[in-house]
Order: sequence, then C-alpha cells, then structure tokens
Amino acid sequence: MEKMTRVSGTVSGCTMFCHLDAPANAISVCRDATQVVVAGRNIFKIYGLEEDGFVERLNLRVGRKPSLNFSCADVMWHQMEENLLATAATNGAVVTWNLARPCRNKQEQLFTEHKRTVNKVCFHPTEVNMLLSGSQDGFMKCFDLRKKESVSTFSGQSESVRDVQFSIKDYFTFAASFENGNVQLWDIRRPDRYERMFTAHTGPVFCCDWHPEDRGWLATGGRDKMVKVWDMSTNRVKEIYCVQTIASVARVKWRPERRYHLATCSMMVDHNIYVWDVRRPFIPFATFEEHKDVTTGIVWRHQHDPYFLLSGSKDSTLYQHMFKDASRPVDRANPEGLCFGLFGDLAFAAKESLMSAPQSVGDVGRKTYPGGDRRYPIFFFKKPDVTEQFAQVSSALSVFESEAGSSVGMDWFINTAQSYLLSGKPFAELCEHNAQVAKRLNRPQESTTWTMLRIMFSEPANPSLSSNHNLNKSGNLPLVNSVAFDHKTFTFTLFLAARKSLQTVYEDVFLCAENEETEGSEGQAEYLFGDAELDDDDLYSMEHDNQAEEPEYLLPQEAFPLRHEIMDHPSAPEPVQEKPESPHVSGSEAESTCLTPMESFSLISVSQLLFSPHLPPKFFCPIVKEMLCYYAEQGDVQMAVSVLIVLGDRIRKEIDELTQEHWYMSYIDLLQRFELWNVSNEVIKLSTCGAIMCLNQTSTTLHINCSNCKRPMSNKGWICDRCHQCASVCAVCHHVVKGLFVWCQGCSHGGHLEHVMEWLKQSKHCPAGCGHLCEYT
Amino acid sequence: MFVAKSIAADHKDLIHDVSYDFHGRRMATCSSDQSVKVWDKGDDGEWHCTASWKTHSGSVWRVTWAHPEFGQVLASCSFDRTAAVWEEIVGESNDKQRGQSHWIKRTTLVDSRTSVTDVKFAPKHMGLMLTTCSADGVVRIYEAPDVMNLSQWSLQHEISCKLSCSCISWNPSSSRAHPPMIAVGSDDSNVTYSGKVQIYEYNENTRKYAKAETLMTVTDPVHDIAFAPNLGRSFHVLAIATKDVRIFKLLPMRRESANSSGPTKFEVQVMAQFDSHNSQVWRVSWNITSTLLASSGDDGCVRLWKANYMDNWKCTGILRGDGSPVNGSSGHAAALSAVGIPGAAQMVVGAASAGRYFFPHLDSPRAGSRLAHLLPPPSLIEQIYEPDPSHAPQLRQRHAANSIIQPAEHD
Repeated sequence: MEKMTRVSGTVSGCTMFCHLDAPANAISVCRDATQVVVAGRNIFKIYGLEEDGFVERLNLRVGRKPSLNFSCADVMWHQMEENLLATAATNGAVVTWNLARPCRNKQEQLFTEHKRTVNKVCFHPTEVNMLLSGSQDGFMKCFDLRKKESVSTFSGQSESVRDVQFSIKDYFTFAASFENGNVQLWDIRRPDRYERMFTAHTGPVFCCDWHPEDRGWLATGGRDKMVKVWDMSTNRVKEIYCVQTIASVARVKWRPERRYHLATCSMMVDHNIYVWDVRRPFIPFATFEEHKDVTTGIVWRHQHDPYFLLSGSKDSTLYQHMFKDASRPVDRANPEGLCFGLFGDLAFAAKESLMSAPQSVGDVGRKTYPGGDRRYPIFFFKKPDVTEQFAQVSSALSVFESEAGSSVGMDWFINTAQSYLLSGKPFAELCEHNAQVAKRLNRPQESTTWTMLRIMFSEPANPSLSSNHNLNKSGNLPLVNSVAFDHKTFTFTLFLAARKSLQTVYEDVFLCAENEETEGSEGQAEYLFGDAELDDDDLYSMEHDNQAEEPEYLLPQEAFPLRHEIMDHPSAPEPVQEKPESPHVSGSEAESTCLTPMESFSLISVSQLLFSPHLPPKFFCPIVKEMLCYYAEQGDVQMAVSVLIVLGDRIRKEIDELTQEHWYMSYIDLLQRFELWNVSNEVIKLSTCGAIMCLNQTSTTLHINCSNCKRPMSNKGWICDRCHQCASVCAVCHHVVKGLFVWCQGCSHGGHLEHVMEWLKQSKHCPAGCGHLCEYT
Repeated sequence: MFVAKSIAADHKDLIHDVSYDFHGRRMATCSSDQSVKVWDKGDDGEWHCTASWKTHSGSVWRVTWAHPEFGQVLASCSFDRTAAVWEEIVGESNDKQRGQSHWIKRTTLVDSRTSVTDVKFAPKHMGLMLTTCSADGVVRIYEAPDVMNLSQWSLQHEISCKLSCSCISWNPSSSRAHPPMIAVGSDDSNVTYSGKVQIYEYNENTRKYAKAETLMTVTDPVHDIAFAPNLGRSFHVLAIATKDVRIFKLLPMRRESANSSGPTKFEVQVMAQFDSHNSQVWRVSWNITSTLLASSGDDGCVRLWKANYMDNWKCTGILRGDGSPVNGSSGHAAALSAVGIPGAAQMVVGAASAGRYFFPHLDSPRAGSRLAHLLPPPSLIEQIYEPDPSHAPQLRQRHAANSIIQPAEHD
C-alpha cells in the first residue's frame, strides 16, 4: 500500500461498483484517474471516482431522440487533453466530444466516412490532434481534429479491423488487428502499404496492446483463446510468450509497473477478468469474479498504479477492482498429488519448493513464528511483497516402491491367494495346508486360526492313541503347569486372538487363570472334557510328522502385545506373577490386567461351557462368526472368505446372506485387481451365494460362424447344418477340437491350443494356409 | 520399507494429481501445464511416459481411471470448466514402435460454469458413471447408458452443495446393504460455515441423492477426501485432508423399518486426528487393503498412518519426497518402519510406548488432537524398542533401516 500511494499520489479507494442503466460496451479513464467514461449502445456517461463509490457526473446522451451516433462500440478519453473524448459509433460514425463546451450537447466533430461499424478509436499518445479509427469495413482512417475530413486512409486488404493501437514509444507506428488472424504494422506517413504483417492467431484477433515500457512488445488476443506476446524489435516478428485462456480473448491490457503482467477479459461464456504473468502462462495470477455477464471493457485506473482495475460489463455494472481483493487461483491449486498403487507403492508429486524446504520433520510440536527469525529486528528487512511473487514453479514426481518382502507390499496377498487350498481335500487337510501357507508367509495369526478351526471342527480321532501321545508330548513341552489347563486356555487364547484384539486376549488368559484360582479348583480335571481333549490330541496327531519344529500351537511372541498399566483401574488382578513358569507369561514383563464387563462376560460363558461333557462344533459357530467379522473389519477379507469356503456348511447358516455376498464381492474384486483370474474363478465356483455364482454365467454365449461356409452356426451341435461339415476342426491336426479351441481373430482359423502354439513357433502364417499373419494374444 | 524412485516428469508447471490404474501398472499425472501424461511400468520396473497430450485450456486439477472393464479410459477435469473423457486407441503401429500410445477425446462435459475441481468414476457395480464437482458447489453425476459408447453421457443428477466443492469420493462398497453414497468436501475458506464435508446417499424410492450426513466438526477448508476400500466391512471409513488429517468412521444405524424412505442415519466417530504435518494437508490416499493411510502436506512429507489392533491410529513412517537428485543419487533409499499386514502389526508396538496411546472411540475431535500431540515421533518409538533376542534377524534388518532414515529425518 505504501508503494502504491507513493506511485499514484492521489489514487485510493476500495472495491466498489455502481449500476448502470444499460450494458456497457467500453470504458475509458481520464489521465488523472479521477473520472471514467462508460459507453454502450444505450449509455454514454461520465462517473467520478470517489473514495467510496462512483458518482455520476455527466450524461452525454442528450436530446429527445438520440441519434445512432450515440450508440457507441468504443470510447477513448484523450490522455493529454482532459476535455476531449472520441467514440466509435455502431453506424460507422466517429464522434469527438468536448466536455468544455458550454451547452448540454458536448458533441464536437462528426466523421461519417466509414461504411460499417467502427470497432475502435485511438488517440495518438503524444500528438494532441491525431485520432485513428478502425472499422468493420476493413479500413483504418487517421483524422486531424482540426480538419473536417480524414487525413489518410489505410486499407488493410485483409478483412474487418478489430483493433488499432498507436505505439507508445514509436511516434509514427501503429498496429492493427484483423478478423482473419493477421496483425499489421503501419507507418502513419505511408498509407499505401503496411510495414509488416504476420498471422498472429487462427481466427479473429480481437485486441492488441503495446507494452508500456518495452518498445517492441505487442500483446494480441484472439478467438482461439490465446494471448500472444510478440517481439517486434527483431527482424522477424517473434512470439515470445503465449497464454492459453479458457475463452476467446476480447480485451488485453498490460498491467502498469509490472513488466510481465497483463489483464484479459473474454467476450463469451466467461465473465471473469484474469491477470496473467506471461512467464507462467498456465494459471492466472489473479482473478476478478464480480461480473455476472460478459466483461466488455477493462482499463487500469492509473497508468502508473498496478493495483486498481476498472471494468464495465454487459450486466450493466461498473466495477473498481482492488488487487488485494482479487482471488488467486494458485492458492487454491493443489500443490501435491498422492496415490497408493495396488502393490503398496506410493506415487507422490509435489511442488519442488515444498520438498527442498529445510524442515526438520523430527520436531513436531514446534511452531514457526510468523515474523521470521527473532534474532533480527523485523524492521531491518524490506520484505518482498509475497502477494506479487509468482515465479515459475515445477513439481517433482517420485514413486516410493515397496521393497520385495516388505510389510507394506502386497506379495502376501497374492501368495496367500494362490497357495490356499479351498476345496478338493478333507477339511482337516485343507486347514492344515492353509495354516502352513500362512505360517510360511509369516502370518502367525492366520496360521493359528486355521489350526484352531481344524481342531474345532474336525471329527474326533482315535482316543486311546492320542491320549497316550498327549502325555509324551507334554513331557517335551516346557509346560510346568497342568497340560490340560494350558491346552484348554490355549485353545481359547488363540481363538480369541483372532476374534478380538490381541490385547484382550492376554487378559482372557489371565482371567482363565484367575477363574481357576477363585473357584478353588487346582486340578485340571474340571477343565478337561471329552471332546475337547480329543481335539487337542488331534492337534498332536496331525503335528506328528514335524515334531522337530517349534510347537505349532505356541502363539508367537509378537501375538501378545504388551499391555500397559492403567493406573486408575481399581482392581487390577495380578495372578500371573504367581506362575512365572506359565508359558503365556514367559518372555513378557509383569503386567497387570483389567477387564471390561464385555470381555469377562464372554469368558464366563466360555468357562461355564468348559464343564459340559460334549462340545459340538456348533458351539464354536458364534465365535467363528465373530472372528470372520473381525477379519473382514480389519481389511483381511481374504481370510474371511477363505474360511467361509473351507468351513462351508458348518458356518454358512450363521452369517446372513448379504454379508457373505459382500465379502465374496470384495474378495473377487481384489483378486481381479491382482489379475488372479483363476483364483477368482475358483472362489466364484465355490461360493454358495446365488448372486456370486451367477457371475460366472454372464456373457458366456459365443456366436460363431462355421469355418467352412462362414455362415453363422445356428444349432448347438458340432456339425454346420449348411455345409454338413464339422465346424471346429484343428487347422494343424485336422481333428475335431473338443475342449479349448483357440482361433485367430483375423482369419478365424485355429485349433488345439498346444498345436497352434507349436505351429507358431515355426511359422508366423496361419496353419490353415490362408496366408494370414495370425495373432494369438 | 520403500525405495524412492525419482521420475523426470517434465511437466512445465505444478503437478496436481497422480493416479494409479486398477491394476497398479499404469499411472497418470496431470498438471497446470494443461497436459496429462500416462506412465507405464515396463518389464524392467521403470516408469516410461507412453503418452503426453494437451487435454484442456486451463490447469488440469484431477485425473482418474475408469475400471478396465470399460477399456483404457481416463477422465480429467480442469480450471477451464470442463471435464473430459479420454480413451486409449490401440493399433497405431508407428506410435507403438516408438512406445507411444494414442489417446482420443471421447467427450467434453461442459455443464459447469466454474472450475471443475474433481472428477471420479463411480464404483464399477453402478455401471459406467462419472461424477464431477465444481467451484460453484454443484456435484454432477453422469451416466453412459451404453458402455460401448463413451461419447454419450447423460446428466443424471445435479446436487447443489451450497459451498464451493473441492473434492469428492465415492463409497466403494458394493454391498447391497449400502446404497450408493458420495462424500463431498468443500474448500470454502470461511470457517464460520461449519460442516465442510457432506455425505449424500442415493434413495431408491425417490431416485435422488439426499444429504445423509454433514460432518459439522470439519470447519476448515477440505482439500481431499477418501473413503477407504470397503472390503466387506459393515461400516465406512473416511479420511479427510484439511488443516490436519482426520479419519472418521461412519456406522450405519439399523433402520426401524425396512421400508423407511429417509436416508440412512450414521453414527459418526472420529477415529483419529493428526496435525503433525503442521500445515495444510493436501492429499490422503488409502492402500488397497485400507490398512494404511498416506497423507501429504505443505511440509513436503508423506506420512503413513496405521491402526494397531486396538483401532488406535498412529504414524508408522515419514517419507520425504527426496527422490530428487538434489540430495544425492536418485536411487536413494528411504527405508521405513512401516507395517502393512495385520499379522505383522505387533512388531512395531514397542513395550513402553504401546499402552500410552490407549484411547477408546473418541467422542469429540478435540480429544483426538490432544492425543495426537502425545505421540512421539516414530524415530523415538524405534529407539525405545528393546530388542528381543528371539527376533534378532528381523530387528537387525529394522535397525539397519533406521540408520538410513534417521539422517534424512534430522538434517
């Protein structure tokens, strides 16, 4: 603001507007920036620019029946003679107005030499009496205001003239733009021929503007939505900047005191005024969005003040825009892009300045002071005006690729999907296989879950054999406590591990121990019950082959997250310390536990059932259901669906159809993303939901033609009913193909897959000898 | 654990969006230089630009891929008030030899009167549908009635959001229990209008989208919004990039009667809120299993967030965008202590630090931010961790990783 007032001296104000009586076609401002003239088809008024608003000063449309001479296409206020105005009338007249005339009618001169609408009038910047006009009839005329007629006529011989502009630095030069896309440079002394001509745009060039400082720079705007800046000072006219806008450019005006800035407005569609930095031609530097209809005239209020812009519009308003109120599209533009890829890779694009900014990511809590470094007094710095910075920027693109085998990758998903067995073997073997797969892929929780499922739902094994074995096994194990207790606890531990958060599991274990104590039953007998014991034995018998390995049923260490101490919990039971040899506790620090009512409830229900002599598989269903939901909610729909399929009827009725369908759909979608078509198909086949199964039955019809007579095969048999020959004969071995038939989409010949593959190793041509270069993809 | 690869994007202005395709093998970038580039991952693992063309006459804000069932189709949206649909054409033999592919414009959607700020394809099970949102606060939903004809789109719905829209996200759930749902974020900077995230739901009876929920606690401009992949969940998880990162959980409430016509009521929970970017957050993105959230902010860093077994979200890694050759070789490895699979989650949880973050579902977002302050930076967590001899191999690997990343974090 300080700079602004220094430059302009008198100019001050705010964003303001006033209603006009009629749409404006053009506006112009007087030299001292205190008044603005608005001209249109039905309006011709002068407004004073006050501090807080526009004040109507003069209505130049006088007379009972205003002539067409008042219908203005353009207006210009003389920059040297403050009482002198010129208008271009739509009837072809060029009119000058003298505000100093004492009567109401200020009209001074009338030139009616053009035959069609005059698009533009322009006073010479330094010569008081020289006026130039450009018309739809293709002529430009130069008037001397002291004479009644034009001094000279210039014929562009191109087409209609849209704009004429005297050069600011070269006394004799003016530029004219044409509807056929040409721009011509003329010397005012030589009306016979232009000095230079070049094609600036495809389509009409609606406007041009000389740079106020740079002698050779001319900006042009056209219907092709572009603004181009040309350097005229060289021998060849050179395009040095090009700005692509979003609508045809009606006006272009260089911004005062800002070498690279220019303002544009459009004549269609777009009502906004844009200020561009030509060095960064993609994003407008500033936008004024006030107008509700097409902006027809823009002018910088003062020729040395870059902060005030006046505009008139077809919406019958006149605006003064303040630069500080402009919207800055770049501020809303997103400087970063970020996307997770399918395989866990992360693509990241960011503004380079953001990435190179010396920021320490470690100190999270620190706040940066807005005033900068406190060591230096703030007034020593002359801070550059941040709002005027609009340097060229670029983004850096990088891809963070997940390393093979790292936990962010998705290899585990693909491996699991491919290796899991979902059918074709007895239930126990499937579970066992899948447990091994999960274990191999370092997914202990899933592995344990499979093992548990096997134990719970398997048929009981031979009791005598296994009980014997049980003892042997327990001798090998570091289980000082009762075997049965540990197994039992363990079963539920593992099970709940999957079902609930690992956290609560830990507590559950303790609760079991606690229950045992509180009930005063040290003996393991109460915790043993027929079926469950057999289940445990079953576990051992299955593990028999690989005894050397670490005990399968030991939950890996990590599965027990260490529980923090909640200080404010009133009754933290600490039964664990009493049994330091208990396997659950080994490797963990002493922990206290707390139980929410919900957890203890579930445990109580379990422990009550422990006493029942028989534990049918159905007993587990609610828990398994809960576990499947848990997996699904954790984003591991693979586990949910795999278990669902393997368990089949054992669990299916427990879960409502809609949820099952949802899981299936989600898993199939994931499989298809990873292009695991075979697995996806298997899942669809094994699913029991109607909606899923029918996925395999859509788009299964193939319409084929007979390979002999090229007619459509109508019936379902092997024989074409027209030529009575077998349709699907292998082109290599000439036998009928039953099963996979592969054919070239170009010539439609084909045969057995392996035959064709073999053939194509040797030859590129069709095996049928039709000469086609076959493509089998 | 990531390897950072820098790609010479050669865009002439800011890149506003990157987007992976369905299968993760292709990538599209869009920029203010009015162009879109398509990158294909070669057999050598490198990304090659296979197409680059001028798409709009203004900044291109977003680019997005359609489901490959509909072909190789991209949609872009721009400051020039249009959205466009592009399709790759195969069979241009001379282009193919140069390793270039050809994209042609199938349609231009010109209904908006202001900048189109986001464009998204609807989930595949809804058919071929495209959604745009614009700065004047209108969300438009288009449908291609014939999926083979990408040049015909009919405007199906216009939702007026009142606030200028900056981003949209479809709920990806394909469950029949979840009606189509779309979340809209607004970047209106006036903080007095609260509720910068609105959620609209399709009503089967009225065949219209109706507002189901407004997240009133979000008062600052929202720059990005992302539903997590649903994967069989009964609830929805929504990540929001505003002045901080927020994660909301939307639990559909059970309807009293099956045929009630009103929109679904949701129980909205704030699962997490982090302001550790210390600045505006511009982007959020979920991984495919929705176990990992990435966010990027004005600090130039990507932060990775993960929930542990207690639904307790915290930072598991910070990536600096230092694939640039400024800081040394382009193959500079930024190794991280991030975890992705549920089964391995326990590895990161240090003995001393795990419990400190215990919090149940938060009632108010303020509580979330307070707790977020308590989180030590991840580097700290690493150091607290007491190595357990039984897991020595893994730990060695992890400590090696730390020694790489720590200089990057502290310099």
